[in-house]
Amino acid sequence: MNEFLQFAAVVVGIFISFAMYTTLYGKPNPLRDWAEFSYLGAATGVSIVISLTYIYNTAILGIQAGDWILIFSIIFGLMMLFRMHPDYSHVSRLPLAFTVGTGLALSLRTQIFTSFIIQINATIVKLWTGVPLEFLYRLTIAISVITILTFFLYTMELSGPLLWTSKVGEYLMYIGFGGIFAQTFMGRLGLFVGYMESVTTPSWKVPYTLASAVICFIAAIIFDRTGLGQKLSAA
Amino acid sequence: MTVLVVSFLLVFVPYFIPWGPLDWLSGKLMTIAAVTNAFTIVIAVYSQFRRSGRFIREKRKGWVYHIYLLVLLAIMTLSGFILGQHAGAYEWLLLAVVTPLSSVIYGILAFYMASAGARAFRARSPQAALLLVAGFIVLLYQAPLTGAFFPGIEGAATYITNTFGMSVSRMFSISVSIGAIVLGVRMLTGREVAFLGFTEGEE
Amino acid sequence: MAKEGGIYRLMATYDKRWVYVVLFIVVLGPLINPIGMPIGISALTKNYYAQLNTLQEGDIVFDTWNMEFSGYMELKPGVLATHKMFIEKGVKLCIAFGHYEGVALPGEIFKQLQTWLDRYDYREGEDYIIIGYVFPNEAAVAALAQDFHANVRVDWKGNSIEGTFLDDIQNAGDFDMISDYTTGLATTYMINHMVLQYGVPMVENSIGVSVPGHLANLDAGLLTALLASTRGGAELEYLIGSPGPGLKSMDAFTLGHYSLMIFIIVGNIGHYGWTRRTGAKDRTGIK
Repeated sequence: MNEFLQFAAVVVGIFISFAMYTTLYGKPNPLRDWAEFSYLGAATGVSIVISLTYIYNTAILGIQAGDWILIFSIIFGLMMLFRMHPDYSHVSRLPLAFTVGTGLALSLRTQIFTSFIIQINATIVKLWTGVPLEFLYRLTIAISVITILTFFLYTMELSGPLLWTSKVGEYLMYIGFGGIFAQTFMGRLGLFVGYMESVTTPSWKVPYTLASAVICFIAAIIFDRTGLGQKLSAA
Repeated sequence: MTVLVVSFLLVFVPYFIPWGPLDWLSGKLMTIAAVTNAFTIVIAVYSQFRRSGRFIREKRKGWVYHIYLLVLLAIMTLSGFILGQHAGAYEWLLLAVVTPLSSVIYGILAFYMASAGARAFRARSPQAALLLVAGFIVLLYQAPLTGAFFPGIEGAATYITNTFGMSVSRMFSISVSIGAIVLGVRMLTGREVAFLGFTEGEE
Repeated sequence: MAKEGGIYRLMATYDKRWVYVVLFIVVLGPLINPIGMPIGISALTKNYYAQLNTLQEGDIVFDTWNMEFSGYMELKPGVLATHKMFIEKGVKLCIAFGHYEGVALPGEIFKQLQTWLDRYDYREGEDYIIIGYVFPNEAAVAALAQDFHANVRVDWKGNSIEGTFLDDIQNAGDFDMISDYTTGLATTYMINHMVLQYGVPMVENSIGVSVPGHLANLDAGLLTALLASTRGGAELEYLIGSPGPGLKSMDAFTLGHYSLMIFIIVGNIGHYGWTRRTGAKDRTGIK
């Protein structure tokens, strides 16, 4: 791609992204809808190209290399497409059953270890290792996991010791959620800061960024005040 | 159901009882399943065409946008296959449209989280107050400047995230895996058949 | 006559769009005019750095980009810093995508690493190979883990991978390390089918949302190291002595966090000063 096209891609990209940011104004406007439908169309096109390329690289090239059994992947894939036909959708049940059965086997044979047994093993560990801080961490984790599980898993009315462990678990869970909220916000803020960093580096992008922000913001206000936003939008 | 159970066994058993021919067959079955699943993109695109087609035919509000969507989709797909994925209109549209908008769509969540936090985070009860205090400590630590002036904040925040936060995630992980195992057994024993388009009792 | 509730009412009922405006300003401002605030290094990042330092020249790393372009915006500092370490060490990379948007990433990433690529003569085809989008679903991950060459025959441009350093890879166990950059996608499948089955050490560069879940995996020994979000990437840039987008973003990061805390405090003051006292409902919507 030559330099001018690269430059144009950057500038259009900055403008269309601020057109999408006009969502935050809270009123319908055609800039936002243009950005939304652009993404839907282009991203769907990309996903078609990439998925069909994957099918070609894996199945077609595999068959050409002598892996004849992979012909079944093409046959099953085409049978799957009958899902769209109202009269012949039952043809898709065979490949569906096959893929679900395979998927079940893949997840069940490993998830029981990684998400269950190994996690429990890591919780019920020797508490005292000679390091007081490590003891505190291990004790807290063991108590937290057991009490939070008690609160979460038992949906019936509890009484006696189970009620108290459940109450403790509830409070510990809220502390955990506080930390998780903060980490989630860090993640979302990182997404936004990262993108803003990319549209302000190198510094020649800054005027285009500021100009796009101002133009889109003013346009959103004008569309709102004149009523054109509602008229020209898609919703 | 037979296909479901047989394909399950052919992939599940070799993991625990390794035997050359069975390993080879299970590997091929996984590849076949991977490629078969990849075909479902065509169903998604067909659904989009149907929906947009309805909007355009009935001239519903915003029908012009749907024409634009379908034209862009066609340009992207055809240029990707004809001109290649590393050149031409495909690459330009990828850089100018898909990548910036993909960034923005998720980046907007930061604003929603901030406004939701500002509006909904109230210390109305002891549990909410605990959540707020823990959240504040971790937020303070995550701002790099705080650690430079109050080094002790790292200890407190790390304790909260590496014990309580991690315990909650572990609890979710264990609960979800129990649910997945139960659902898997229900599917294999024929109690859950809706995914195949059957109602219960019919097969 | 003063409005009932005064400042408390304002604190409880201001238009939420002011939150958006303030967030834009506190993020954009420091990026255009950096302040240069100090940063501390967490134990997680030090461990990640130590794990990467165990790699030797010629080791083959499975470099999986399980991220969309949006995720890359958050993980960029960690991605670039980690790849700088790989290039310096002369590690061989097999790069795979877990999302179709990954196609746009190599151009973006290697453009920013150009100085390193030139300095260490690091070339595509010899030192790194991009095999493209190979993880559409769990079955694809499991199949590739079991038999690499039966599922990957060409790179992302359609060139055969025969005769390259990938000839030594029969299954996932032949990789010396998995280096994953994730927004979720195929990471769990990789842990299930590569780490669990073949015992390959896996280091993770994760977005903030997924960090709690990955901490559990780190504690359970399924991951050997974890780099958390933009902040972790900035810390890694500091450790390797190569400032980049991460350290540049930390001012905005700090102010963004502080502004959220201020909004929460203001909202609570407004709640207790007006909403609770008068029994009115909070209204901070758009009129």
